[in-house]
Amino acid sequence: MVIPPLLLQFLVSLTAILALYGLARMLGFGSKPKLVDEASVRFAAGEVEDGFVAERIAISKPGDTALARDANAQIMVIKRHGNRFAGRILSDQTLVREEVAAIIVDCGDTQFGSVRLSLDQPSIWVDAINRL
Amino acid sequence: MPDFSPTQYAVPFFVVAVLAEMIWARLRNPAAYEPMDTLVSLAFGLGSTVAGALFGGFAAYVFIEAYQFRIFDMGPEWWSLWWAWPLCFVLDDLKYYWVHRAGHRIRWMWASHVNHHSSQHYNLSTALRQSWTGSFTFGLLFALPLVLLGFHPVMIGICSGLNLVYQFWIHTEAIDRMPRWFEAVMNTPSHHRVHHATNPRYLDRNYAGVFIIWDKMFGTFEEELSARGGAEPIRYGIVKQLGSFNLLYAVFHEWIGMVSDIWRSPWRHKLSYLLREPGWTHDGSRETSDTIRAKWRERQEAAAATGVNQVADRNPIAGAAEAANSSI
Repeated sequence: MVIPPLLLQFLVSLTAILALYGLARMLGFGSKPKLVDEASVRFAAGEVEDGFVAERIAISKPGDTALARDANAQIMVIKRHGNRFAGRILSDQTLVREEVAAIIVDCGDTQFGSVRLSLDQPSIWVDAINRL
Repeated sequence: MPDFSPTQYAVPFFVVAVLAEMIWARLRNPAAYEPMDTLVSLAFGLGSTVAGALFGGFAAYVFIEAYQFRIFDMGPEWWSLWWAWPLCFVLDDLKYYWVHRAGHRIRWMWASHVNHHSSQHYNLSTALRQSWTGSFTFGLLFALPLVLLGFHPVMIGICSGLNLVYQFWIHTEAIDRMPRWFEAVMNTPSHHRVHHATNPRYLDRNYAGVFIIWDKMFGTFEEELSARGGAEPIRYGIVKQLGSFNLLYAVFHEWIGMVSDIWRSPWRHKLSYLLREPGWTHDGSRETSDTIRAKWRERQEAAAATGVNQVADRNPIAGAAEAANSSI
């Protein structure tokens, strides 16, 4: 069987890509950083939006997600994305629902996805989000 | 006529260099790599070669047709003119500066180029994060002056390929600074880190491909400030980070956003959503790199006026801890 050169090149490249991905995993990359305290949330929030100064903060128990509110009553949801953090400022289109000891925040960005926050007293944040 | 594709020959070097950088990262900076991010970046690279094979023919056709109207004729053996190669390389790099600048300042172009910037990491795999949709922009028009000057499209293609190969090695945090004379003339990892940064200070700066002199000439140069000197660390990616490793979303998200904006906007603003800078809206509801920088400057000036260091906002010991269950 003769494989066309372009297809062969594609398959070799694909193999190299998967090998590099496997190696990246093997080398232990992809740690799971945590939002351990308010300072780490403030730092992450400042990365999501420069100038965002978090005044109120709630960190999810596993440390992978958080909510932050600034002086202008803007609320930001932050989630771990790989070994970095990403976030969104919530709008009045945000949907939030309460589960047992957790809330699910859907900021309306399908690809960003819903964010689950396991909080001690989630209803306070649910109210705040619903007031947006 | 030479039949040579620099990028194809460079692929083994790319793979070995990524391997070497991974080993460096393992020892010195493990956060530099994230397996899923690397996979997406490399898939971007592979997809871009497929897209080039599928759609690159149109640009080749346009160039060959335009070549018939060239002002200067280098003759049938144009490839043997030694002086034409360095001249073409430098002029192609000047072209790259402008097409790259357009890639950041015109949303239609940004819809394609954003692919290269959408990683929150900055490593050699990011260099391979190339767009799939470049053929659907008007980027090829920037090369037409070179063709009309008389440079053969193949010569331009080879010079562009060499330009791209050069740019590979500058996508790294493993190299701090090159010698001063080199930093003055050439694009370097330091200069290009600035380009990939989302810190307001660095937004839309350092568009150069090979020679950083173009940024210095056209007023878009910004020096990287050393984190060791107290400067804030560079944040990589785009102003609104994707927050997703979905490859197709990463490829098309800005095209979808742009078309959606054009669809929903009043008629008199539709063209602006295509041709104005990313972030522009007719109602001012979003931010452009210019407005982000202006606000940042205001905050800097206000902080300086009150003697408050902006860094304090991010100081781990600044601010009292607040319980999650407190009233908000």
